[in-house]
Amino acid sequence: MTTKTHRSPASEFRLLTMPLVVFLLVFLGFPAIVNLVYSVSSVSFETLRSPEITGFSNFVAVWNDGAFWQASWFSFRFGLLTALLECGLGLFLAIFLAPLIERRSWLMAILMLPLMVAPALVGLMYRLVLHEFAGPVPYYLWTWFGASLSFLGPGSAFWTLVTVETLQWTPFAFLLFYMAYQAIPREIIEASAMDGARYRHRLWYIELPLMAPTIVVALLIRFIDGFRVFDNVYVLTGSGPGGSTASLSIYIYEAFFKQGAIGKAVAASVVLFIASFVVLYGLNTIAARRKGAAR
Amino acid sequence: MINILRWIVFAIAAIAMNFPIIVTLVTSFKSPRELTSNPGLWVQAPTLDNYATVFTVSDRLNIFLYLVNSLAVAALGTLLAVALALPAAYAIARGKVGERTLLPLIVNLRAVPLVIFAIPLYMMFQWLSLLDTRLGLGLILTIVNLPLALVILVNAIRDLPGELDEAALMDGATRTQILLRVIAPLCRPAIVTGVIFGFITAWNEFLFGLMLTTSNAVPITVGASFFFAASGGGVQWGVASAVMIVGALPPMLLGLLMYRQISGSMTAGAVKG
Amino acid sequence: MTFARMKKGGLIAAAIATLLAGPAFAKVTVLGWPGGPEEAALRAAADTYNAKPDVSDDNKVELLFFNRDGFWDKLQADLAAGSTAFDVNLLATYSIGRYAPFMEPVELSGEAKVVYGDQVLTTMQYEGKQFGVPTDLSLHFMYYRKDLIDALLNDDGAKAKYAEIAEKHLGKKLEPKNPDEWTWDDYAATALYFTQAVNPDSPTRYGTVLQLKNLLFNMMVFQSLPRAYGGNWMDEAGKVTVDSEAYRKGLETYKMLYDAGATPRDSLSYEFAEANAAYASGQVAAMMQWNAAASELMSKDKSPTVGEVTEAIAPPAGPEGRFTHIHGLGFGLNKNAANKEGAKAFISWLSSKEAALVYARNSGAPALTPEVVKDVAAERPDLVKLGEFAGKYGYVMNGGTSAKALSVYELQAKEFTGYWSGQQSLDDALKNTEKGMAELLK
Repeated sequence: MTTKTHRSPASEFRLLTMPLVVFLLVFLGFPAIVNLVYSVSSVSFETLRSPEITGFSNFVAVWNDGAFWQASWFSFRFGLLTALLECGLGLFLAIFLAPLIERRSWLMAILMLPLMVAPALVGLMYRLVLHEFAGPVPYYLWTWFGASLSFLGPGSAFWTLVTVETLQWTPFAFLLFYMAYQAIPREIIEASAMDGARYRHRLWYIELPLMAPTIVVALLIRFIDGFRVFDNVYVLTGSGPGGSTASLSIYIYEAFFKQGAIGKAVAASVVLFIASFVVLYGLNTIAARRKGAAR
Repeated sequence: MINILRWIVFAIAAIAMNFPIIVTLVTSFKSPRELTSNPGLWVQAPTLDNYATVFTVSDRLNIFLYLVNSLAVAALGTLLAVALALPAAYAIARGKVGERTLLPLIVNLRAVPLVIFAIPLYMMFQWLSLLDTRLGLGLILTIVNLPLALVILVNAIRDLPGELDEAALMDGATRTQILLRVIAPLCRPAIVTGVIFGFITAWNEFLFGLMLTTSNAVPITVGASFFFAASGGGVQWGVASAVMIVGALPPMLLGLLMYRQISGSMTAGAVKG
Repeated sequence: MTFARMKKGGLIAAAIATLLAGPAFAKVTVLGWPGGPEEAALRAAADTYNAKPDVSDDNKVELLFFNRDGFWDKLQADLAAGSTAFDVNLLATYSIGRYAPFMEPVELSGEAKVVYGDQVLTTMQYEGKQFGVPTDLSLHFMYYRKDLIDALLNDDGAKAKYAEIAEKHLGKKLEPKNPDEWTWDDYAATALYFTQAVNPDSPTRYGTVLQLKNLLFNMMVFQSLPRAYGGNWMDEAGKVTVDSEAYRKGLETYKMLYDAGATPRDSLSYEFAEANAAYASGQVAAMMQWNAAASELMSKDKSPTVGEVTEAIAPPAGPEGRFTHIHGLGFGLNKNAANKEGAKAFISWLSSKEAALVYARNSGAPALTPEVVKDVAAERPDLVKLGEFAGKYGYVMNGGTSAKALSVYELQAKEFTGYWSGQQSLDDALKNTEKGMAELLK
């Protein structure tokens, strides 16, 4: 019976990827080539159509730029922390609140609301929310506790940004986990309950392993999104005092538009692209090998 | 007892995560005068003036145009992305075609700030007359949405048992037929998730909306600040809040309409294992 | 794909192309600054122009506005790519060198010299050529609480306390003075006196509010302080002179105020809107702020707490005198304009006396010469002050209109905020700035 499956020509699968590949080639092919040229050129807004190829000086400039490494470090820390927080909280809420939501699905809609507002506008609103005199949070802290906290000072800005991002995107992880949790077949749970498995035991050895692929995907997506964070941070603190809250996206944006250093901005993106490709490729290979070993 | 605890947790999560939205809603009913004197969450003299400002259509301020633009580009950017991603996801998950390179390459698009494509795309769009059109912006949003749609769909199809395909193959079905008749219906929850997340991302996108439109295709995220800009870089917070609430309504409605689809995903789980 | 389908596809493509191309309007499209008084003024000017009998239908003015966030970045992309979406576009003194390569010099009306004066016209010049009409002028006022300062001046006990605070933090005994006679030291001493962290009896929580966000506009507000001590970006020979005593004094004063808690701790994320909100709450005694804030802060209706007790004057003095940063917003000609003749005609009219008065009467902020401003002095007394301050105290740093001026501000913003937030030493901040500026301005 397997003959047909195994011989099923790869060409048919290849055909199925064609629409996507062609679409990307059409819309990103030309920009990608232009960008590759820019990355090895001396180019400004005046010479967009006539860049002068100068070799790898842009890459050297990026490599030697302390701000690039500072931004990379910010992005990495920010991405990792927010991904862990969002997925941790999302997982907890998805499992703990499942009995409530199963019966009243409109509760889910409430938890999904934060996703519906543009991050740029959320950032703008936090400028008001956290303002010492015009914002409700400092106002109530002052009236109730007589405390005046600094939310966006040098010591606290990073944590405030992490909180802002986490509060907005935990629902994303929550939603993915809730779906995965619901997809666990009832029979398995019932069977294990009949075997007298304790709740905690069931959670740890049956439910979580079944949700593992989704957890990995959610962590990956949230890490990437946190890593490339732009809108809300840019609106709330800009690149921060001394560039301390510049994510890599902000660094690249500012190099591109504010400094007009197009070659440098593109070179930084190429570095980022290659680095993250290597990481993703590696993860992918490890995952494939593991799967192979398991079989 | 545990249910009470669940309700408490739910309430805390709902309030904390929705806090900026609550403040926005409250602020949208405050007059400029009250804004400078009352930072609290209780409105002393509620007013609808901010909403009136938002809905007053003049030759420049046309919130309806921005909303329609956003709706059109987000719909195009979402549906096209899912339509392109689904067959590719199937090929990747089942045929192992492009699993090694294509998948990480596309996922990578989410990691790189797409703004670096802004200038080349601008020149290309100029040449194709796609600048300041809904079609043009919709196509770019498709690119923005592809990585997430692809990851979600690949993940979902991998979860489906391979026996399904084999049975269909035995019946003489082609891969395309299997995709359309067997796989697609079974990953409906994943498709719906992809559509919701894609729509939200597209609706909230700012940078390309700013760069690639000038007047006809301006989306709501970009149009929003037309309303609340005050002199010297100031912000009219009341109007800003009102326009934000109005701008968030369409994706909220979509979410409300589709959350049933998501919570109805239990059926999909039934075929597993 | 069958032939029929291909044909259908072709038809759709053709239909889309026609829809996209849009009808060619032979109008003059003007890109303006969205929101606020500049827009209202431009609208009024455009209406007046369009109503003139000698303006043909083909040359009527149509207005276009971008988003305010990212306005200059978007304009940069449009101009660099040769956009024809607008014929006339907004221009600012600090960005003129950056956009000039994509624009064309313009010819102003014969009245322009009389209306604006040479000093103000230079805010729209680059390498000796006129690139625009200077429709709005921006500068800084010192806003202060008249009620609080008066109370201080009339209270001997408070005066002693004031002297004690000045001695402790500034190393010299100062006594309260009338704000119009302040030096920057008096400003600093007053800011400390009205700070609860320094003086628990202070009626306000903070003496001042500084805008310290890593943002280029905040450097414009800051630099009037070093300027009053003789600071400049470059000397006449073109050597960068930022690593100087003047900048040192300015940066240290800000740092001292921030560290002493004389400005909110979140000031490092403050810009225009935040500073206004802090001042309007009544918890701040004095601040430097753009003239654009006057309509908000000095209005009883918009700022009930402080509107009636706020006064706006020129910034304090240093050894070199009193200075305020100035820059102009104006309108110039896109090199790729579709309707160049129509655009030139509008720009020429916009620089006439008639246009300037319409602009001034509709909440614009043109800096007019004394002869012209008296026509609107009754309705716009603030414009008299604006013109007077610009003439007496206005300055532009050497290199402040160069192609890289914006990048210089960006660099300063990053390095200086790095110092104020305690991430790097004053020496490093100045050294890095000087090095970077030498690179940018060479």
